[in-house]
Amino acid sequence: MIALNHIYKYVNQGGTRVFLLRDISLNIAQGEFISIMGPSGSGKTTLLNVMGMLDEADEGEYLFLDQPVKALKEKQRSALYKQHIGFVFQAYHLIDELTVYENIETPLLYKDYKSSERSAMVCEMLDKFNMVAKKDLFPHQLSGGQQQLVGIARAIVSKPTLLLADEPTGNLNSQQGQEIMELFKKLNSEGLTIIQVTHSEKNAAYGSRIINLSDGRIEN
Amino acid sequence: MMTNHFKIAFRSLKRHKAYSFINISGLAIGIASCLIIFLVVRYELSYDTFRPSYRNIYHVITEDKGPDGTDYTPGIPFPALEALRTDFPQVKLTGLYYAYGTQVSVGDIQNSAAKKFIEETGVFFCEPEYFDIFNATWLAGNASVLKDPGQVVLAKTMAQKYFGDWKTAIGKMIRLENAMDLKVAGIIEDVPFNSDFPTSVIGSFETFKNSRYYSYTTDWGSTTSAFQVFMKMPENLPVENVQTQLKGLADKYYSNTGPHKISNSLQPLSEIHFDTRVPGLGDHVTSRSTLMTLSMIGLLIIVMACINFINLSTAQAVTRSKEIGVKKVLGSNRKQLFFQALGETNLIVLLSASLALVIAWLALPFIKHIISIHEELSLFSVQSVVFVLFIVIMVTALSGSYPALILSGFKPAAALKNRISSATIGGISLRRGLVVVQFAISQILIVGTIVAVSQMEYVRTADLGFNKEALLIVASTTDSVAQARHETFKQALLQLPEVSMASLSSDIPSSENNAGTNFAFDHRDDEDFTLYTKQGDADYFKTFGLEFAAGGPYTATDTTGSVVVNETLIRKLNIKDPQAAVGKQIRTGGGKWKTIVGVVKDFKTNSLREEVKPLLIAARKSRFCMVSLKLKSTNLAKSQQAIEKVWDKFYPEYAYRSVFMDDNIEDFYRQERQMALLYKIFSGLAIFISCLGLYGLVSFMTVQKTKEVGVRKVLGAGVGNILLLFSKEFTVLIGVAFVIAVPVSWYVMSHWLNNFAYKITISWTVFAIAMAISLIIAWISVGYKALRAALVNPVKSLRTE
Repeated sequence: MIALNHIYKYVNQGGTRVFLLRDISLNIAQGEFISIMGPSGSGKTTLLNVMGMLDEADEGEYLFLDQPVKALKEKQRSALYKQHIGFVFQAYHLIDELTVYENIETPLLYKDYKSSERSAMVCEMLDKFNMVAKKDLFPHQLSGGQQQLVGIARAIVSKPTLLLADEPTGNLNSQQGQEIMELFKKLNSEGLTIIQVTHSEKNAAYGSRIINLSDGRIEN
Repeated sequence: MMTNHFKIAFRSLKRHKAYSFINISGLAIGIASCLIIFLVVRYELSYDTFRPSYRNIYHVITEDKGPDGTDYTPGIPFPALEALRTDFPQVKLTGLYYAYGTQVSVGDIQNSAAKKFIEETGVFFCEPEYFDIFNATWLAGNASVLKDPGQVVLAKTMAQKYFGDWKTAIGKMIRLENAMDLKVAGIIEDVPFNSDFPTSVIGSFETFKNSRYYSYTTDWGSTTSAFQVFMKMPENLPVENVQTQLKGLADKYYSNTGPHKISNSLQPLSEIHFDTRVPGLGDHVTSRSTLMTLSMIGLLIIVMACINFINLSTAQAVTRSKEIGVKKVLGSNRKQLFFQALGETNLIVLLSASLALVIAWLALPFIKHIISIHEELSLFSVQSVVFVLFIVIMVTALSGSYPALILSGFKPAAALKNRISSATIGGISLRRGLVVVQFAISQILIVGTIVAVSQMEYVRTADLGFNKEALLIVASTTDSVAQARHETFKQALLQLPEVSMASLSSDIPSSENNAGTNFAFDHRDDEDFTLYTKQGDADYFKTFGLEFAAGGPYTATDTTGSVVVNETLIRKLNIKDPQAAVGKQIRTGGGKWKTIVGVVKDFKTNSLREEVKPLLIAARKSRFCMVSLKLKSTNLAKSQQAIEKVWDKFYPEYAYRSVFMDDNIEDFYRQERQMALLYKIFSGLAIFISCLGLYGLVSFMTVQKTKEVGVRKVLGAGVGNILLLFSKEFTVLIGVAFVIAVPVSWYVMSHWLNNFAYKITISWTVFAIAMAISLIIAWISVGYKALRAALVNPVKSLRTE
């Protein structure tokens, strides 16, 4: 599904080139559950953003579903992204002014679903996550764990094939974190490819493969 | 402490350059507009207030209550002066005669080579008593010189204009209208510009009475607005008593047996400059409603500037939260923080006020092009300093206290953690409300501008019922010497290749003149409405392109027994077919019966403020005082030179005066044009200020919404979606403003249009255009910032702090 060949990413800081990613080569198959680990500043989030097409590599080749991402036109890339990728953040990043229901609905608005389809899809998610009663609440009325559940529901409501999660349990206590991991495992078993960035060994263990990063390189 | 506050205030101004610029320039423009309006209004209100007896002087005006309504004239019959003197022995009274556009010759006055001046401000003929009522400073002579005929008093600059040095002027002669020779017997200090009594040449009243040039009469039946009577009340006499007594005397003075009831009433000096019922002796009358409108506009503009300020400061408060948090943790209390914030506002307002003074100083010299003020207004006076201070305090209090309250109320823990967002400080709905107010104001002003401008355009291009193109009006006079040469002068002009047609007349078709009279039709009794008359020779109709509904013009040879009337008269007489009126007889003011030979199609007899009046056109030669010329040539300047040459040959003792017909007509609407221009300027400013505010607000919104934009982009939103997100909110606000602006502006502008008998109807397109303009301008000011926000890579905006 994902093929990274010799990916480099760098920033120029005061004349010297600081590498964020160095020579990353990686293949991820459909249905895998990958955990990316590493100390702060090792390039985990950058790698995730490159795979999520939010950021571009400076050198190297990135194939997503066998299509060279760099060579794609903005429009095609955007279409590919909308169809296949969902994001989950450490800080949830829900929209404060929107209710739970509306937050989950938002990505569907950008994917041209009809109103009836949208409501069916959102309701399905609410059911699946047991949040029907909370659908009219605003983010600040929810606990952190519940907010992250909304974040995940929002990420998968449009049925992406790849879920990218940047420290999804970072702001949660261990019990809430465990619930989220169980949910990820269940989603993975239903066929969703998941790549998560995490600090916790315990959470990393839920994945089928662990990739360790240090100073922008994959350690083996 | 204070220095610390100032340091922070200055640095934060410097750091947020864009916001400081928007704040300061918006406020400065607001304050400057307000200041200029204040100066203008104060100037208009100052007319004649310098007179010591300002509160005790009254003008006796004449009311004519007829079936068509009440007419007011500033004049009074000549014999009324002595009658009033007898009936009100305890009141000081004076009469004056005012001759507008008088020719004054000086130097070698026996000879046509004398220097000739046309005094547009006019010549006054006054009794010595005039100076008992209206004060003056005498440089030479005194009021008693006006007792005798043949004497004249000049104002200092006038004496300088005529004789070089006013000190040598005493004893010199001047000649008026080639008919009266007057000896300079006194010099007074110039009357200030803010007076409705521009007495710069004052002949003795006796001169006027004895002169055959003017038609002084002891007949109670005729009133000219040029003869006016003024009173000075003694302190102990209630004005109401005089007023009632005057009403009681009406039937004694006037033969009020017909449908018209004539009476006199008092107009206080303090109203003369603002009473639009009667024209003043000065250059213009400004209605109080115009001054009110101006003041309202000034107020609205300063309110808009304050709104900008509140919006921007509350939005910006978020970025200051950390500073507030730190200060609170370090022990500052709420009161200190409140006054620190207020002090910062005060600093900004003071900077704006200084900038405003510069703007006002630069703008003031242009004011006289916009409104009728002939002297340069001085910016620095006690009142304007007090006014600016007042504005500074008001604006600081109005726009500073709310943001200061918000800032000082931050909870330190939340403030330090950057948990304060514009949403949590609850200012969003207030800011939305304020934006709505701003847009409502600018839309009202836009509608006002569109309506005023299109009405003026309508007036300018309106079909007046006659052809006003390439018509030059040469003014002559009615004295017998000039009269005698009229016809040969006209013939000489017709010889010029530039002139295709010429006509002698008393008046042009559309004018502000109202020569009205009672009349009888078809040997019946007098009709109960007034007939208006104009005099013109047989070529009048051809020259002005007037069309006939029935009959035709009188011939050049038959000018005594035949007249032409207009359709309005026929209609008012209930005659359906104009043809039926031809051949009937008509008589004005009890004179001889004359035959109607033609009915002209209606043309606009007056300005478009008034309905077409019932009109009679006859050819009374003694009234002719102008020659109207239809020009062929496109080189109008050259034609004018040729015509002036002919004039100088025929009338060497008279100065040449001419005006183009269309300029003359434009002049009818000077005040309306000035209003339209003022609307344009101030609505432009209002729109500019609201755009500044909107731009500032959007820049803050983009900061606030950075995260949301990032999230939405990650969720698949394109640039278009983000732009929509930003403009949607403002579009809704503008829509709400529109709902408020429509009824208000419709009400105000239909009121204004009621000044005109002929007017445009306010159609929905006007409102649609106003809406479209504000939407487009808002989108443009929102667009740039929104686009920048939409193009930011979400990776940057979503980075966890």
